[in-house]
Amino acid sequence: MRVILVGFGNLGRGLSRVLVQKASFLHRSHGLITRVVAVVDEFGSVVDEKGLNLNELLKVAEKKGTVVAYKGGKRGKLALKVIDDVEADVVYDLTPTNIKTGEPGLTHIKRAMREGKHVITSNKGPLVVAFRELDSLAKRCGVEFRYSASVGGAIPVVGLAKKLLAGNEIHEIRGVLNGTTNYILTRMSKEGAPFEVVLREAKELGIAEKDPTLDIEGIDTACKITILANSLLGMNARLKEVKRAGIARVRPEAIRLAQEAGYTIKLIGIAKRGSLEVGPKLVPLGHPLAVGGTLNAVTFKLDLAREISITGFGAGPKETSSSLLGDLIDIHRTLGG
Amino acid sequence: MLIRLEMELEDVPGQLFKALEPISRYGGNIQSIMHQRERKTPLGRLPVMLIFEIGERARLNRILAALRAMGVRITRIGEREGAVRTTVLLIGHIIHTDVRDTIDRLNALKGVMVSDLSLAMGAPGQESAARMTIVVDDEKHTNLAISRMRRIADRKELLMITSLEAE
Repeated sequence: MRVILVGFGNLGRGLSRVLVQKASFLHRSHGLITRVVAVVDEFGSVVDEKGLNLNELLKVAEKKGTVVAYKGGKRGKLALKVIDDVEADVVYDLTPTNIKTGEPGLTHIKRAMREGKHVITSNKGPLVVAFRELDSLAKRCGVEFRYSASVGGAIPVVGLAKKLLAGNEIHEIRGVLNGTTNYILTRMSKEGAPFEVVLREAKELGIAEKDPTLDIEGIDTACKITILANSLLGMNARLKEVKRAGIARVRPEAIRLAQEAGYTIKLIGIAKRGSLEVGPKLVPLGHPLAVGGTLNAVTFKLDLAREISITGFGAGPKETSSSLLGDLIDIHRTLGG
Repeated sequence: MLIRLEMELEDVPGQLFKALEPISRYGGNIQSIMHQRERKTPLGRLPVMLIFEIGERARLNRILAALRAMGVRITRIGEREGAVRTTVLLIGHIIHTDVRDTIDRLNALKGVMVSDLSLAMGAPGQESAARMTIVVDDEKHTNLAISRMRRIADRKELLMITSLEAE
């Protein structure tokens, strides 16, 4: 399969490394040969229809900070031109998330679909802003659209529900969907350290971003709940419909009170028809959602299987590439490969 | 089973302590005591309301007999078979927004009672945290109690954290 990567940050590079490492595995186990024919970043692009040397590209991009430095690299805002002009089967949109406009990912995805290219994305922005539109555009254009990496990182939340649990009606989805806040809550509960201290530590460790507002205020979790509601519950939900509280007011004393009664506090997103919510909740110790550190966890409430819970790493380039690669193999199989 | 017992005690020191003794002697697990000093009866006795858990009816009968033998007047006794306990955490200016009023408003609901309150005071000017146990007659009353508590929390700008099981 010929692949275009739009976005070459942590995720784009992580995926490229995995494509190199797993080339023979993919061929042997799945009959899949991938050729990355173009890579675009914020500074420019590089194209080779015979397939780029990803090892070389990774080295150059690490050293110079852009793919433009690779031989034949061009400078400029070239994503749409590459999507239009370069022959490819799949476009990965791995650009940064903008939850207000969905851009630039939204335009990339639409353009790729109209060009008849399958799309895989990790970008929550376009999914939050225009899920229904993208879902029906993909159908109209006859292309596959996958977004496993947008929710739960490495955890196959969407795939599990859509494929393996396909015979069930989903009543409710609950989850710990943000590693940063889970890390902060876990540290506060284990060490009793104040919120500000733990937040600073999380920033130093690179777990929290410099501006952690989206995480702390529960907005990131609300985005994921919106995506799950739309993709798995068939809703047409908007981000602003999610009732939301963050964790900034949760102090170690509150967690101590919870622990004395057999609970811990987790930031939980809940999606059910008619009610979308994000907020701190008392979770019984030992409950499947009482996961520690940066882990994510999701519980489905179902009519047949009753409850299914799944836990794993919600972030990280290598972990997330599990979902990004899984989507590619899934499209390959769907197309009869 | 969960027993709710209302009784009247003489207003002399040590009465409450004495009244609790047979309950623990026969294996009762006391969950809540409400000692209402300001609601003295016309005869000058003090009403006390207890909630406790006990294994068998025979033990309950022994407790009642022991209480009567020591002159305690039992005014009401009820079994709360379907009783449900739910835990709620509150964060905010809990004292300044009149915690007594918060509890009274919940207790005013029929079939709902706040049975426990633990408080962790914040530093001066900072928010406090409280854990509240609410005992209700059945699941339906849980929703009633939670939605009333939610309204109170909204008005008093308290962050209310409910249990995942209560959703």
